[in-house]
Amino acid sequence: MIKEIIFYTFSSVLICSSLAVILFRNPVYSAVSLILSFITSGFLWLLLDAEFLAIVLILVYVGAVMVLFLFVIMMLNINNEKEKSSFNSLAPFALFVGLVIAAELITLIWINSSQFNLNSEAIQKPDQVSNTLLLGTELFTNYILSFEVAGFILLLAIIISISLTLRTRKNVKTQVATDQINTEPSSRIKLVDLKERK
Amino acid sequence: MLTLQSYLSLAAIIFAIGIIGIVINRKNIIIVMMCTELLLISVNFNFIAFSYFNQDIAGQIFVFFILTVAAAEAAIGLAILVALYRNKKSIDVQELKTLRN
Repeated sequence: MIKEIIFYTFSSVLICSSLAVILFRNPVYSAVSLILSFITSGFLWLLLDAEFLAIVLILVYVGAVMVLFLFVIMMLNINNEKEKSSFNSLAPFALFVGLVIAAELITLIWINSSQFNLNSEAIQKPDQVSNTLLLGTELFTNYILSFEVAGFILLLAIIISISLTLRTRKNVKTQVATDQINTEPSSRIKLVDLKERK
Repeated sequence: MLTLQSYLSLAAIIFAIGIIGIVINRKNIIIVMMCTELLLISVNFNFIAFSYFNQDIAGQIFVFFILTVAAAEAAIGLAILVALYRNKKSIDVQELKTLRN
């Protein structure tokens, strides 16, 4: 009974905060609502026995990705004043598309529920090992190649995002360390023989 | 009674909200990227629900990789956005029609 109460409370919070993400005009408010929906879905994943992924969702998404979003929003300095117009012209179409998608998916889920065994309770196994241990064992044995590829994807992301945003300004007076190191004494000091004055 | 249906329906609703957000938004690419994150969250919800109700850890492994790739995607997308803003001084969806015609 307590699980049902938690599920319905948190899922209504999740739906309201996701609606707030798309309805706020100020992108900072949208980002904060998205943080709320990530935390709420983290709690709902805890309900589904996915403890490690719930913590990873909160740490990585709220701690890193959303901070990056907020940083970019505040760095770009977008003016919000002229956003009032042309917001509602696509709204009926968008609402139509969204409602059709939701109706199709929910019909699909509820119409064949008994055939695909969707409406039964979960099989409760006696759980000796923790979720993190289970996930780690599986990840480092059967999925080790995928794990390496994921690490490589992260490395690629670092390289690409740095090379996209890095810019070297012209006409800025800075030290060039390589030139300083590679210089030789002959280019800096010139020894001149002075004639002795009589 | 909490069944798989309730979790799948919740994920379907979140997915539809994300789609509506992508279509409705005409001014700001950042909100489009946030709606993409909403879509990814709903798909991850489906994976975790199936993983719990079938007692199979492979779904959670898949969610792990989806989270990794989504973080990389968000970083690269925001880098592209910053480079775009530097060139055009705007991140308006409507003004990005350089490739038209």
